[in-house]
Amino acid sequence: MGFEIKRFQGDVDEELICPICSGVLEDPLQAPTCEHAFCRACITEWISRQPTCPVDRQAVTACQLRPVPRILRNLLSRLCTSCDNAPHGCNAVLKLDSLASHLVECEFNPKRPMSCEAGCGLVIPKDELAEHNCVRELRALIATQQGKLTDFQQELAEQRLTINEHKRELALLKEFMRAMRVSNPTMRALADQMEREEVVRWANSLARARVTRWGGMISTPDDALQVMMIKRSLSESGCPPHIIDDLMENCHERRWPPGLCSLETRQNNRRLYEKYVCKRVPGKQAVLVLQCDNTHVDEHMMVEPGLVMIFAHGIE
Amino acid sequence: MANIAAKRIKREFKEVMKSEEVAGGDIKLELVNDCWTELQGEIAGPPDTPYEGGTFLLEIKVPETYPFNPPKIRFMTKIWHPNVSSATGAICLDILKDQWAAALTLRTVLLSIQALLSAAEPNDPQDAVVAKQYRENPQLFNMTARHWTNIYAGGPTSVWEFNQKVQRLLDMGIDEHQARVALSTYDWELERATEQLFC
Ligand SMILES: [Zn+2]
Ligand SMILES: [Zn+2]
Ligand SMILES: [Zn+2]
Ligand SMILES: [Zn+2]
Repeated sequence: MGFEIKRFQGDVDEELICPICSGVLEDPLQAPTCEHAFCRACITEWISRQPTCPVDRQAVTACQLRPVPRILRNLLSRLCTSCDNAPHGCNAVLKLDSLASHLVECEFNPKRPMSCEAGCGLVIPKDELAEHNCVRELRALIATQQGKLTDFQQELAEQRLTINEHKRELALLKEFMRAMRVSNPTMRALADQMEREEVVRWANSLARARVTRWGGMISTPDDALQVMMIKRSLSESGCPPHIIDDLMENCHERRWPPGLCSLETRQNNRRLYEKYVCKRVPGKQAVLVLQCDNTHVDEHMMVEPGLVMIFAHGIE
Repeated sequence: MANIAAKRIKREFKEVMKSEEVAGGDIKLELVNDCWTELQGEIAGPPDTPYEGGTFLLEIKVPETYPFNPPKIRFMTKIWHPNVSSATGAICLDILKDQWAAALTLRTVLLSIQALLSAAEPNDPQDAVVAKQYRENPQLFNMTARHWTNIYAGGPTSVWEFNQKVQRLLDMGIDEHQARVALSTYDWELERATEQLFC
């Protein structure tokens, strides 16, 4: 839709007026043969109703519309107009082709986003600043947040319900599998095989770790803190659930094999440490020495399903 | 009302006011409300037609979607013409329907309606009864149109014979306009008109 003709200085040539909206042509297009010109928005709207030229009713389709000649565009771009925000105090007089860039930065734009200096810091259109009330706006904000919170809580409750259902089903399933294993030797072999493969798959997914200072080993870690953190990290890395509790037990020297279970034996076997294939416990100063990775290690240096060694430092 | 429609109508109103047709008393235009959605037009009956000397009022309603849709225009002054309904004033004119073009203006539309009074289109009638008379009995049609112009549009030619016949029906207690419609419809044969009115 074209520009209000009253905004222009002096007379505007009839040729630059859109016959549809009677404003000064905005982004004009012309019909192919008769060359009648219209604003893009105006002619598009008209052609969507009937495919004719609105002046002489010659057949025209949307894809036949062409840009207007350069001379017409030049005439248009040289017209001098007032700013859209003239009613709000802007006195700028602009060439039509620089109007768009002026509007972006015109400080009289009543909708220019301003941030509230009175305390709330919300960004609001300039013309709403006078009516703006921080407390009211923030209350409204709190109300919407509260609404969202209620929605989330409800969703959470529903999820909990579903999770509980799944837990019950899972427990039943486990029970059933256990019964199958006990009653059927083939099933037992199969299940053991599956569990072993799962451990190998997980072991292969972990990065190799290098211990630079075996002396930093903590043989009696604090259960509550260190062990729980390690457990979470293992769980997140995909540790098969049937070995995780055993692994956690094997963090402490009381469960370590004869070759490791006291300071004295450890000092005697120190040279064997280098044989261990160690894996990273992601994000922790700890390594996993899994039995499946260390079949080459002497029996008195290994336990099922593997060892967890926590260090004060020195893991790469 | 949509910005574009109001903008157009304001401009067209000014265009009509400045036109030579207004200066010459051919057409007139007035605003009915100040939101530019309703206007009243006035056209003079063209010379050398049965409508000569009459003044015809038009109701003009501007739709929200103007100028993408035509204005809705009807005669408020009763008129006997093949392309205008003698009952409702509805006009059958292509540019007010499928031949509407967005570049047409109130001025061009009023002039087109005036031109329609000079050159009827009996093959595209709005009023079948009038059109039939126009084709089959042009002289009687002319007299009837002139009579209606005299009675409803202030035209100069009074048709004594027709006035008498209307008076006869009035005396029987018939409403005046009803009487005139019946007589005009039955080619001013008093007997047939009476028969139709009392059946
Ligand atoms: Zn336009
Ligand atoms: Zn054209
Ligand atoms: Zn400005
Ligand atoms: Zn504020």
